[in-house]
Amino acid sequence: MPFYRCLVPKDSLTYEQRERIAVAITDVHCGNSTAPRNFVQVALMDSSPGESVPDSHGSGQVRYDTPYFVAGGNRAGRSEETKANILEGILTRVSQIAAVPREMVSGFISEAPGSWTMEAGRILPDPGEEAEWCRQRTR
Amino acid sequence: MAAFEIYVQQGCVPDSLRPSLESAIRSACRTVLGPVSLPVNVAWTVIARGCGFRGGVPSTTSLVRGRIPDGCDRETRARFLRTIGRDWCDQVGCAPDEVLVSARDWSWTG
Repeated sequence: MPFYRCLVPKDSLTYEQRERIAVAITDVHCGNSTAPRNFVQVALMDSSPGESVPDSHGSGQVRYDTPYFVAGGNRAGRSEETKANILEGILTRVSQIAAVPREMVSGFISEAPGSWTMEAGRILPDPGEEAEWCRQRTR
Repeated sequence: MAAFEIYVQQGCVPDSLRPSLESAIRSACRTVLGPVSLPVNVAWTVIARGCGFRGGVPSTTSLVRGRIPDGCDRETRARFLRTIGRDWCDQVGCAPDEVLVSARDWSWTG
């Protein structure tokens, strides 16, 4: 379920940088959680500061004012410390790979219960219950 | 009312299928959630080639992300998600692993 949309200035990144960002986000997310790597989805999308992106919570729109912005959507149930580590780790890695100051990158992570998402035809487990979920999936 | 944002990887879901995919989502809303979920707004975003990844490698996965009226019980929500996922796979011809469907409560702000 983790879905990270990286809003970046048009033509600012090479394919190699985009791929490195996707791998880095996957590394950070999985390094701070028990989620399998193939759960982590990353989309890099062209955008401009001051725009807004649709988001399926709250008002349905998220506004941002930095050139680079990461809008994440995760399962609920992790500690505040874990959530903060994931977000800070991702924003730091994006700034490093994009070669821009950290202040040019902001973001947020929204959360929802795992039972509100279906993947591979099955309702997702809560964080920490992935191993059993994956075992049942391969039976 | 319900609203869906759909993210597809460029080249993975033909544009010609959009009307019938939207129709299937509206049908699922009507039949599983009832009239309270109508009307249903659908917005599409195409993730450009070379910009979508899963597990750090290029992705073919579509994401169907919805907001539905509050008050949906767990069993009904699961049936709703499965209905949309099954219709999606049937129409697109993809594997179940290539579509992720979610439905948040309308007022959820998490």
